[in-house]
Amino acid sequence: MEAISIRLENISKTFFHRVKGKVSAVNQVSLDVQPGEFLTMLGPSGCGKTTTLRMIAGFERPDRGRIYIGEEDVTDLMANQRNIGFVFQNYALFPHLSVFENVAYGLKVKGMSGSEIEGSVGKVISLVGLKGYERQFPHQLSGGEQQRVALARAVVIEPRVLLFDEPLSNLDAKLRVYMRSEIRRLQKTFSITAVYVTHDQEEAMAISDHIAVMNGGEIIQIGTAEELYLRPESPFVAQFIGKINILPAEVKEVVGEQIVLEILSQRYRLLKGPHDLNAGQRVNIFIRPETLVLTNTFGEGSLKAKVLERSFLGEKVDYLLELDGHLLNVTSYDPFQHGTFSHHQEIGVRFNPDAIHILEEGKKK
Amino acid sequence: MPVSIAELNPSDRIRRLLKDPLLLVCLIVLWSLLILFILLPLIMLFAKTFEEGGQFTLANVISVFGDPNQRQALWNSLLLGSLVGLCGTVLGFLFAYTAVRTNLSKKWTLFLDASIILPLISPPFTTAIAMIFSFGPRGLITYDLLGIKQFTVYGLHSTLFSETITYFPIAYLTLKAIIAGIDPNIEDMAFSLGSSRLRVFRTVTLPLTVPGLANSFLLLFSASLADFATPLILAGNSFPVLPTQAYLQITGLFDLKGGAVLSFALLVPAFLVFLLQRFWVSRKYYVTISGKMGAQTQIKSASSSIKYLLLGLCLFISAFIFYFYVLLFYASIVKAFGANFDWTLKHYRVVFTEGLKAIRDTLIIAGVGMPLGGIYSVILGYLVAKKTFPSRQGMEIVSMINYSLPGTIVGIAYLLFFNEPPILLTGTAFIIIACYVFRYGPTGIRTTVAILQQIDPSIEEASSSLGAGTGTTFRRVTLPLILPAFFAGLGVVFIRSMTAISATIFLISIHWTLITVRILEKMTELELGVAAAFSILVVLIVFIVITAISLLLRLFRQPGAPEMANILGG
Repeated sequence: MEAISIRLENISKTFFHRVKGKVSAVNQVSLDVQPGEFLTMLGPSGCGKTTTLRMIAGFERPDRGRIYIGEEDVTDLMANQRNIGFVFQNYALFPHLSVFENVAYGLKVKGMSGSEIEGSVGKVISLVGLKGYERQFPHQLSGGEQQRVALARAVVIEPRVLLFDEPLSNLDAKLRVYMRSEIRRLQKTFSITAVYVTHDQEEAMAISDHIAVMNGGEIIQIGTAEELYLRPESPFVAQFIGKINILPAEVKEVVGEQIVLEILSQRYRLLKGPHDLNAGQRVNIFIRPETLVLTNTFGEGSLKAKVLERSFLGEKVDYLLELDGHLLNVTSYDPFQHGTFSHHQEIGVRFNPDAIHILEEGKKK
Repeated sequence: MPVSIAELNPSDRIRRLLKDPLLLVCLIVLWSLLILFILLPLIMLFAKTFEEGGQFTLANVISVFGDPNQRQALWNSLLLGSLVGLCGTVLGFLFAYTAVRTNLSKKWTLFLDASIILPLISPPFTTAIAMIFSFGPRGLITYDLLGIKQFTVYGLHSTLFSETITYFPIAYLTLKAIIAGIDPNIEDMAFSLGSSRLRVFRTVTLPLTVPGLANSFLLLFSASLADFATPLILAGNSFPVLPTQAYLQITGLFDLKGGAVLSFALLVPAFLVFLLQRFWVSRKYYVTISGKMGAQTQIKSASSSIKYLLLGLCLFISAFIFYFYVLLFYASIVKAFGANFDWTLKHYRVVFTEGLKAIRDTLIIAGVGMPLGGIYSVILGYLVAKKTFPSRQGMEIVSMINYSLPGTIVGIAYLLFFNEPPILLTGTAFIIIACYVFRYGPTGIRTTVAILQQIDPSIEEASSSLGAGTGTTFRRVTLPLILPAFFAGLGVVFIRSMTAISATIFLISIHWTLITVRILEKMTELELGVAAAFSILVVLIVFIVITAISLLLRLFRQPGAPEMANILGG
């Protein structure tokens, strides 16, 4: 089957809350999902990602805007007319049906014959690794197994679109990592366009082709994991994807495409990028914890800092440093290679000019 | 649950209703039934009480309550209700606390559950009959055992005792659920902060149970207020209460108006209780289980000496209940209890010859009412829980009215309304069936609503996302899940049809009569052996039907479907 695109055009949704009154859950969201793409909507709780997903599914109707699946305008179609597969956070398995009957449900609704159903269901059940579980009931299964039934039930109807609403949030950490690669594998096997909702940035980065970061009912930035991590367009995205340090800086010189920045009395030469900067301008810069280099000595380009906290995490050590009145998070990988520093130790910190990013004022979101 | 802005507009909701013709038809039919069988009879009762020649008047009320005897009856009813509420709640709490907070073995808990089943499924006056056998003029305990010759069994003390034994199981079921719902980890927390057991009980367990205690008090108060048969047998002339006075007014003096006024007086406290329950107690409930359940913990509420003391008390009361039923059975198989203890089957012969019509009538009425009540409660419960339509809340409240009111009021209101054209139903089986369906259907409605609220809405969305329309989703997902509620509705209507009397005593006729009424007649004719035999028969039939229904439930209880509360509770 040919993969299909999804397009949202300026959709908005307002809810009425008994205490808060009118709440704008989704505000003028537009989104293009390419055929066969795996897109994740990522954001904190209440950012409107689930509501958007439910509108694509047809469980909610947008107050304004249109939704297209392929070339078809599905805004006014009911969920059962859209041919979508939906995986719920709590799995929503039918408690009174066995694993086989759960997976067969959608095919029965379509009126397929018994032998066809048996074939398709059997195939999908072995694909998700549940062979032998057909006659069990949902309450007899573990969380991970239930999740796989939910997955099989959604893909067996060969939907045009697969939608996932935080499907892994009820699983433990190890299983989560395993299941997300399973989901990705299935999506690729069937080459179905997928929209996935999560608040876990690591999960989003691991699984997606593209990520749409949402906040306050709006999409803040769309990009690949690398783009969002390396070139966040706003402090919100910078802080939401990975950890950052924010420091004040002053532009000392602008020389063609290059600028000279002074950060904590040290000068660094870096590319100007898309920013419109003048000498004497004060800006904020951000820098990722793992790009900082720690040394035993200070001076000659490395600043003096003091270790306030340290957490040994095996493959890395997380430090909290105090540097000239500023707090700084530093992650140092491969501690056996680089050695570790102890509590209260005075050490040197070196900034890598390539890893310094300027945060533009005005993009506060 | 937030609702979409678009759903707030009333005209929008009406438009949507018109688009769903099935819902519209259901609503029209249900509202017609509710108006006809609940609202209009009550309005008729109001009219009879406050109207004279087309004018509003208080004359009827003043004339009835000018009689000091009737004022005494009102006072007695309130006194009896309060005392039964108090004693029954204490007893219920004792049983409930022992069952869930003393680490009883499974066997003992089952035993406690079993010992309350008998009063729950018997006609309400079986304990009253056993009281007469034990403490009456030739009572087994007073006369034979203790040799007391002048003991008067009739009066407040025995009515209170009998009603407490009859109704405390309701308190037990209510409180057991509440206490079991208190997470033992909360008590552990109090222990860890240095509290003693007594202190934990006083400062944590008891306060968390208070709303349950209040609710149980109100339930028992209204049960006692509505009880008609026990006082009729045990209260005697010195302790008149409203339901019996209303009954005597109507059947003895043929004074419908007087009966209406007396039952109206009953309505005032009953309505107050209804309001208190709905708007006060229900809001006081604490939610102690929030989010993830804490780790399983050993319950440490009672030391082992306290545990055995409590268990001992419970066993003593259970023994008393069993003694009552053994006595009842014994009385049904001896020639004349208290005088001639020779074995005989003559009482059962009477039951199965001249009593056969009552048995047949009762079984027909219960058998017809049962499926009707089940269907009615599942449909209404489904609409109220799952659909949004104008008048939804009104429908829920109205459907509960006949259930909350004392049976005497419902009976008299039906008698007044269906006694004359346009709708003349007096003397038919239909009026009795309707009375049962609308009076006991609400148990099924509540169970349906409770089950539907436990079913996550995403399960229906899942079905929809797999291509199923509303009809298919209902048939394949929702219906199988609410089947237990349907059986619960069936069960309650059947049991109450077999055992109730307070409303239907006004509705029987020469064409259609009931076993419970025959028992009462035999009591007044002093054919106690026959009355006992009838009672044993009812208990047996109900027991068989309950067993059958719980087997059906086990058969139809879908794996993983939400647990259903005890179908007899409430």
